[in-house]
Parts: sequence; C-alpha cells; structure tokens
Amino acid sequence: MKALERILADFGSPADAGPARLAAAEALSTHALPTRRDENWRYANLRALEAVRTFLPGPAPSISPALPPALPGYSRLVFIDGRLQPQHSLPDTALLGSLRRSAAGSADAGPVPFAFSGDGRFGLIARMFAPEPIALRVAGSLALELISITTAQACGSYLELDLELAAHAQLELVERHLGGAGPTGLSCVQVDLQLAEQAQSTHTRLLQGAPDALHYDTVAVTVGAGAQYLLRQVSAGAQTARSTIQVRLSGREARTQIRALATAHEAQVCDALFTVLHEAPGTRSDQLFRGIASDRAHVACSADVQVSAGAPGARVVQSLRGLIDGAGAEVDLRPRLTINTDEVQAAHGATTGRLDEDLLFYLLARGLSPVEARSLLKWAFLAEALNAIDAPALRRAAGQGAAARLADTPATELLQ
Amino acid sequence: MNAPLLKIDQLSASAGGAPVLHGVSLEVNAGEVHAIMGPNGSGKSTLAHVLAGRPGYVITGGTVRFDGADLLALPAEERARAGLFLGFQYPVEIPGVSNAYLLKAALNACRRQRGEQDIDAFDFLNLVRDKMRTMHIDEALLTRGVNEGFSGGEKKRNEILQMLVMEPRLALLDETDSGLDIDALKIVGRGINSLRAAERAVVVITHYQRLLDYVVPDQVHVLARGRIVRSGDRALALELERRGYDWLLEAAPAMA
Ligand SMILES: Nc1ncnc2c1ncn2[C@@H]1O[C@H](COP(=O)(O)OP(=O)(O)OP(=O)(O)O)[C@@H](O)[C@H]1O
Ligand SMILES: [Mg+2]
Repeated sequence: MKALERILADFGSPADAGPARLAAAEALSTHALPTRRDENWRYANLRALEAVRTFLPGPAPSISPALPPALPGYSRLVFIDGRLQPQHSLPDTALLGSLRRSAAGSADAGPVPFAFSGDGRFGLIARMFAPEPIALRVAGSLALELISITTAQACGSYLELDLELAAHAQLELVERHLGGAGPTGLSCVQVDLQLAEQAQSTHTRLLQGAPDALHYDTVAVTVGAGAQYLLRQVSAGAQTARSTIQVRLSGREARTQIRALATAHEAQVCDALFTVLHEAPGTRSDQLFRGIASDRAHVACSADVQVSAGAPGARVVQSLRGLIDGAGAEVDLRPRLTINTDEVQAAHGATTGRLDEDLLFYLLARGLSPVEARSLLKWAFLAEALNAIDAPALRRAAGQGAAARLADTPATELLQ
Repeated sequence: MNAPLLKIDQLSASAGGAPVLHGVSLEVNAGEVHAIMGPNGSGKSTLAHVLAGRPGYVITGGTVRFDGADLLALPAEERARAGLFLGFQYPVEIPGVSNAYLLKAALNACRRQRGEQDIDAFDFLNLVRDKMRTMHIDEALLTRGVNEGFSGGEKKRNEILQMLVMEPRLALLDETDSGLDIDALKIVGRGINSLRAAERAVVVITHYQRLLDYVVPDQVHVLARGRIVRSGDRALALELERRGYDWLLEAAPAMA
C-alpha cells in the first residue's frame, strides 16, 4: 500500500474524531499528498514516508526526558510524542487559563487552499492524528516555549498548534523539536498563527530531531495590518526534514522578517519552502537563508515571494546562499519573485558555491589550521542567520545544533 | 651560525600553467631589510605567495631554506607559525569573523608553536590595544568583521597590526605602502621599524621609494620577468625612481 492509503487506513473512521480531523482526512483523500512532480516538492524526500511502519500516534511514553534549561521569562509546554506532559511543563496560570485543548482546532477558520489542497497538505496529517491539539489566544503578551520530543517508539508524533494574537498582542514563541536516538517514526507538525492588527511575534524554531527521524512541518501565518512577524528557523535535525512555511501579509503595512539556516551532513536531506504573499499595500518582507550541505547531504530552499495586484508599495528583500562542502553534497536554491503591481522595490540574490580559497589561504597565512580555518569560515557564513536569534541561550543551542551537522565542528568559543 | 634566515636558490615556479618565476636567488640575513621592486606582472606577488605556501603554484625548480628548514616542504600554516609572515597586497574581507578573533587565533597559533600557553583574554586585550595605538587603528575595528568595509588604508594598517601581534622572524610585505596617504605611510613605516630586531628580517615589495625613506633597506633588488636582474643598495631605488625600468629590461633577456 502507498503511504497515503496507509495514512488513511491507520486513521480509519474514529467515532470520537471532531469535525476538524474528519475534514482533514477528507481533504487528504481528495487532494492526496504532494509528489515530486509538484514544483514546490521537487527536492523533498517523500519516498521516506513509504518506510514509515505505522502512522498511528505512539502510546503514552514513560520516559523522563532530558530537557534544555528553562528560558528565563518563558512559560514552557513539553510534549512527548505529541502528548502534553504537565509534570515537565512550566505554564503560568494565565497560560493555563487560555489554553483550549480541543480537537475542534481550527475548523472554524474554514478551508484554506494552502492547508487543504496546496503546499500545506502535510499539516493535514498532523491535524488528523495530533492527540492533543493546542489552541491559544493571546491578548496581552506571552513568552512561550514549546518543546516537542519524539521518542524512539517508531510511531507517529503529531503536534497541532493554533495560535491567535489579538490586536496589539505580543508573542515570543519558541519551538524546539528534539528527538532521542533510535528508530523514530514520523514527526508531523502543523502551526497556525494569526496576528491581528499591530500584533507582534518573534517565532524561533529549532529543529533538532534525532539523526534518523523523519520530520515534516507546516507553518501558516497571517499577518494583519501594521503587525510584524519575525521568524528564526534553524533546521539541524532529522534524516529527512521538510519545512513548509507560508506567511500572508494580509493587512496594510504588515511585515515579516525571516532568518533561516539549515545544515545537513552524511546522507541527510533538508528541504524548505518559504512562501510570502504580499496582499496589502505597503507590506514588507525580508528573507535570508543560509544552508550548508556536507558529505553527501542535500539542502534545498525554495523562496517564493508573490506580490499581488493589491499590494502597491511593497518591499521585498531576499538573500539566499548555499555552501557545498562535500564531494557528493548538493544545495539547491530556488528564488522566485512574482510581481503583479507597480511601485515595488525588490532586491534579491541567490548564490551557491564552495568555501572561498582566497579566504582560506588568508587564514592559513595567519597560522590557523585548515580545519580551524574551514570551520571558522562556515561559522561566518551562518553568522547572519544565527545572530538574528536574540536570546543567548537559544542562539548557543541553535549554533551547537547546526555545528553538529557540519563536516568539522567549530571551536566552542565561536558559539557565543 | 651565520646561515641566512632566508635562502632562495634558483627558484622557478609557474601559475595557471604559465611559468612566472625563472630561477630567483636571494639571501636575507637576520637583522636586514630588503626591498624588492619591479614592473607590474614581473612576479613579485607570485614570489611572496610561493614563499607563504599559497596553493595553486607549481614549483618547477630550486630550493628555499628558512631558518635552516626546507620551507617548501611545509604547509602554509606551519610556515606562518614558524615565523614567516605575508602582508597581502589585497587583504580579503571576511564578514562574520571578527578582527579580534583572528588576531587572537593567529597569536595563539604562534604561541603554541613556541610551546607557550594560549594568551589570557585580559593580556590579549592589553597587547592588542597597545599595537592598535601604534598603528592608529580605531579600537572599534576589533569587533568588526576582518577587513569588512575597511578603507584601503585601514586594510593595510590592519596587515601590519597582525604582523605586530604575530611577531614573525621574517615579514614579507607585498605593497603594504600602496594606496596609503602620507600620514598612513609614516605610521606603517613606524610599525615596520618597531619590529626590526637583530633576529628578524623584513622584505618589502614596493613600487615607490618613498616607503624606503622610512624603512631604510640594506639591499634593493629588481625583479623583472621572473628573475632578479639587479641588486644594489638604497641608491638603486632612487635611480629606479629617476630612470624607470626600461634600461634594466633591455639588459635582461626575455624568457622563451
Ligand atoms: N594564478 C595565475 N594564473 C595565471 N597567471 C598568473 C597567476 N598568478 C599570476 N599570474 C601571472 O604571473 C605574472 C606575475 O604576477 P604577479 O602578481 O606575481 O606580479 P607582480 O609583480 O606582483 O605585479 P604587480 O606589481 O602588478 O602587483 C602576471 O603575468 C600574472 O598574470
Ligand atoms: Mg603584486
């Protein structure tokens, strides 16, 4: 049986499924999963899905996870294989009060093409199976860290988050996806984030799943008038990782800034699609991606910016760079910019190459060893993306994760 | 005891498949300053790069001994650690690597070679601040990326700063004086002179005799078409300034 049929068979027709889950299953069976023939999925490793033994969520885990130190000022929710672990979480009372755990999820949002028939379809799997979907409405300000751990149970680990920011609300959201070593199954994450006018959110995502994990995540963000969405994403985990991110700048002068980096080595595949839709006047997007592929790894990034006819005065900045650091390594960058209105300012560039021999020699001529010189230059290559993470503890953790997937590990003193 | 610090014997090398150096011989003793002059494209930078161990050149003949050792057998980083410093004609920009980091890494590489411990952070800052004052470099440049957005003159002064921090036995300075204003030239000259010592030597590659007013050479050599066609004392530099190179080129046969 093909993966899609097995997903649907594993889902079955559960009596207790709410309308959102049923709608998700229905949409998946109608529209099926993307294939490599789809423009935006050419580099995704979809074959890996065929090897998943079961799509069912695992039983309640009994492990006591090693958690990273708490982030000062943050509430924390810990999920293991998709199940909330209250004993490891550090929620404040305000958070608990506003937390709705219901399978109804985002059914009331109505079907959106991105999620139901477009690039967001992988999120449907998370929606179908997530044992404890989380819905949260933020009115004032909230700093929230979500830790999702996939254990070596070789079952599915699903997370669905539905976050809504009221006007002027502020959300510092940190997502950390971790995994234990061993045969992990599929990890599927769906995040919906809606920012009403003047809301602000910084969303930091550290994807550090186990080396043999399969991770597919989908993030759909809508940014209202005058609102600002900052995304920092470090993809440095899993055997196969695919991130599908869509940011809709739907309100006047909505803004987004994306700083993403990906590192992969051995035979890992790390692929991302960032879609930014400028739908209103005066919207701005600024996107930066840095990816390093070592050994035989494959890093891909598609960055698709669409400026609609209703978005005059939009500003678009895009910088994608890839570094190939292995005989069999591959980096594919695909910038796309579609502009359907006048008065748009756009600056974009995409380059892929190997380490610059002139820079390497300069460092050798200053007595640095070849290993030191190479890792220093790789570090420098990642610096702009990494330094966008403000919190030192997070930046360090992100740097360590990224460094672990380079061919040579940088000196720890660089991980500031 | 009296062996030269650097002894280049009949060195020939090609770059990009084309022969560039045709049997260069040169001896530099500790305590001396030599100047190498010569027309554009005559092989001066090639000589400096070959000595510093830059990849991409093929040595087709000759030997180089540095401090008694076979220099050409060493990889670039070991030449640097052994005390051979190349000041680049075109210093590269390395965004994302701070100047301070590079200076410290370079210094520690030299210290380890000498069997010393890594420098303590406090001592390092004191040392670098002191050298930066000598070179009139703004301390703010410490935290910037290496040469990132530096002016031409700042880049050249930064090369000398690196040299002062590393304290090499032999400094090979490739047109460190090019593009400097009068004041910066004096500062660079002072920086070079502050390194002069009985156990060290300096080789400056230059197009202008002006630098030699500040850094007075013991010997001046003319490199033309990949070979040293004349050597002399300071007066040779003055003569070149007056007469150009043509009279020497006529005397030197072109290589096939
Ligand atoms: N990698 C290379 N491939 C091909 N030719 C090269 C290469 N490097 C140097 N050359 C050639 O070797 C010759 C000498 O170059 P070099 O840079 O050493 O000259 P130079 O004396 O330093 O000149 P300048 O005074 O302009 O700095 C030039 O003709 C140059 O084009
Ligand atoms: Mg030159």
